[in-house]
Amino acid sequence: MKLQKIIPAVLFTSVSAFTFSAMTHADNRYADFPVTVHGYKGKATTSEKYTGQIARHLLHNSLKKLAAKGNGEANPALQAQMMSYYAGKETGRAIIDPTTKGSFVIKQSEIDAVSGGKNLAGKVYGGVISGWPGNMTGPEMLEFMIAKASVANKGYDPLTGYDYPQLISKFIMGAVFYNQAVDNYLDEKLAAGTKPNDKPYKEGAAYTGKEHVWDEAFGYFGAPAHTLALSASDVYNIAKKKPAAFAKADHNGDGVVDVVTEMSFAHAYYAAGFDKSGKTQYLHNITRAFVDGRRLITNAKGAALTQEQRTRLKDYAAVIATNWEKVIAEAVFKYAGSTYKDLQKLKATVENNGDANAIFRQYAKHWGEMKGFSLALQTGNKNLGGVAVKLNRLVGFSPVLLGNTQVNDIDSTGVYVQGPSESLEGYMLHMLKVQKLMVDEFGVVARNNDALESLGSLATKLGSGKHAEND
Amino acid sequence: MFTDYIAEMTATFIDPRKRVFVGYLLLAVFIAVSWVCFYQRRSFRDALALLFSPAIWLSSSAKLDYLLLVINKALMLLLSPMLLAQLTLASAIFYGCYELFGQRTIVLAEAPDWVIALLFTTIYFLLDDFFRFFTHRLMHRWPWLWAFHKVHHSATVLTPLTIFRTHPVEAIIFVLRSSCVQGVVIGALVFFLGDRADIMTVLGANVVIFIFNLVGSNLRHSHVAIHYSRSLELIFMSPAQHQIHHSVDACHYDKNFGVVLSVWDRLFGSHHFSQKQQTLRFGLDASATEVSHSLWSAYIVPFVESAGCIKQAIFRLTRCCRLWREQRIGFRTPTINKVPK
Repeated sequence: MKLQKIIPAVLFTSVSAFTFSAMTHADNRYADFPVTVHGYKGKATTSEKYTGQIARHLLHNSLKKLAAKGNGEANPALQAQMMSYYAGKETGRAIIDPTTKGSFVIKQSEIDAVSGGKNLAGKVYGGVISGWPGNMTGPEMLEFMIAKASVANKGYDPLTGYDYPQLISKFIMGAVFYNQAVDNYLDEKLAAGTKPNDKPYKEGAAYTGKEHVWDEAFGYFGAPAHTLALSASDVYNIAKKKPAAFAKADHNGDGVVDVVTEMSFAHAYYAAGFDKSGKTQYLHNITRAFVDGRRLITNAKGAALTQEQRTRLKDYAAVIATNWEKVIAEAVFKYAGSTYKDLQKLKATVENNGDANAIFRQYAKHWGEMKGFSLALQTGNKNLGGVAVKLNRLVGFSPVLLGNTQVNDIDSTGVYVQGPSESLEGYMLHMLKVQKLMVDEFGVVARNNDALESLGSLATKLGSGKHAEND
Repeated sequence: MFTDYIAEMTATFIDPRKRVFVGYLLLAVFIAVSWVCFYQRRSFRDALALLFSPAIWLSSSAKLDYLLLVINKALMLLLSPMLLAQLTLASAIFYGCYELFGQRTIVLAEAPDWVIALLFTTIYFLLDDFFRFFTHRLMHRWPWLWAFHKVHHSATVLTPLTIFRTHPVEAIIFVLRSSCVQGVVIGALVFFLGDRADIMTVLGANVVIFIFNLVGSNLRHSHVAIHYSRSLELIFMSPAQHQIHHSVDACHYDKNFGVVLSVWDRLFGSHHFSQKQQTLRFGLDASATEVSHSLWSAYIVPFVESAGCIKQAIFRLTRCCRLWREQRIGFRTPTINKVPK
């Protein structure tokens, strides 16, 4: 008799738990949002769409690979190919990255399979980049770098220390993805009369104005749709295409990773990298805000958003922007620390008359990453003012070179001009100050490659001494 | 906040970096019993009485120690985030060294790691111990600080938990002292010694403090007068010497401020050897028959007394200034200028 009561109870509990977890799982994905457009007559059953943004991630990843293909000589074909991925809209462009790696199978192999007619150039931050010589705008700077990368051996110029794949990639992540998301879609486009929620985004679309605006911002972040069911390490390993991460990426179990909904790109990858330490939650904070914001818009059921709803949406947007900015600042911090360590090794090698080529190459790579992220940080929705000036002056236009010189200008023919600079030792202090600036102004927490880590660990070992104890 | 409080309270007894870590307490009991039974040739019962007598542990003085432990833990949780952190100062010192010297040359770059760690540990220990001594000395010599430090000396019985009989103002001073010493040492030594600068530890505790606690530092606040040989007491502070520091006997006033080393007291003329078979009364005043061990006397009265001291000091200062001014301008009082009748 007791068994007759127990078995149904167990079955009921199991079914309930399964249903609840399924519902919860579905709720936490950036997916399967119903169509809310009034009078929609099309065949779509869901409304989220950000394929254009994923296409731009593919273009960015591919462009970075191309930027490292130079052989040190003039290469118009390579330059043209890079410009095709940067500014072109032609059909037939292959996805150069990410591609299938061993058991990590990528579903799509062409840009058009995701979205056609897209480029990066049309979305680049148009302001002057004061951290780069020559008084260039964002698009001008990128075209300039692409030209330089095409003639550099594997994208690296040892005379100036420029690593163009790194500079181009990190700057595009800021000037296109970050800028478009936080200074366009999550800013002006959230205004009451702009892309309203009671109208389709465009004629015949399955999504409203506000739904699509929000989707596009999410797309630029680069997180898989099921991020909230994954750990930071999972998302990080998905971007790296680790074999063990394939099962985590392939959410629908179809044996391939769909780059639109199941792949990790750009700042989502970096957020995951910092969150792996457990000190931060950038990836999930941003993704959760995106999911909650999208759910808020969906729950309006195709009606214009009320003032209260728009206020809450802007709160979610603020969470996204704040955390996203911190991700970039953490990256500046990390690579300033890497550059500091490289400078230490370089200084020691030079003093011992050793071969500095390998260390210098590493120094250039890390510097390029730091510089690219520091420029990206300045393309957000707020004017960093004096902070940007400090940052640009501390980092300079180029790494400090072995003859204690640095690039300080570009002449009218596009040739770099160098002048006297700090010593390597003095530049090391600059890197410490860059890290301090990231802590003081942006409150970075993860602090990877903290050059002053030994101070912190010693302070921890000695104990805080904050106790009411006599001796 | 509550979970932080519980964690802090628990850590007090299970963290080897803390004086009253249960391991150190057990060792102190062992040392004390051994001392009483084998050195003083007294009975085990006598040893237990000295250590665990209810007259000590259940006295009103000891009960105030417990109350202050519980209350101060909560207070310091609230106050400590507002105080200078050693890491902030260490970073400032480190940057300051860079600015001052322009470049960073690592000293003893070829020395083995253990030499660097030994050097760091030694320098830190010496500076920390000295400034503990010096701050303690100031607590006794400056009346407005003595008003707060008196709370600790008002204990008429001593147990290892008497270290927690501390006024919050005094605790803040200790925190700031500790932050300054640690900040300067960490910032400067990491700058000069490099990333190999490290503290030698045992069970996570500074090795010197570990040894200090291992050999019975908890017995400093006890009724077991463990003394060292005179030559050793010239260098290290024995428990018996610290008990002299707590004595109500006037000839023991302002003696033995040191923590680990007694050399600082020798340098500043406050050294006092312990006496064999010494029997002491503890507290503030030999003539007092009743002492208040209330929360009011522990927390509030020191503010009143300190304010009084400061007020007196200001009065004396202004009087000095007035007299000095009068002397300078040759001012004559009306009585001097009076024409005699």
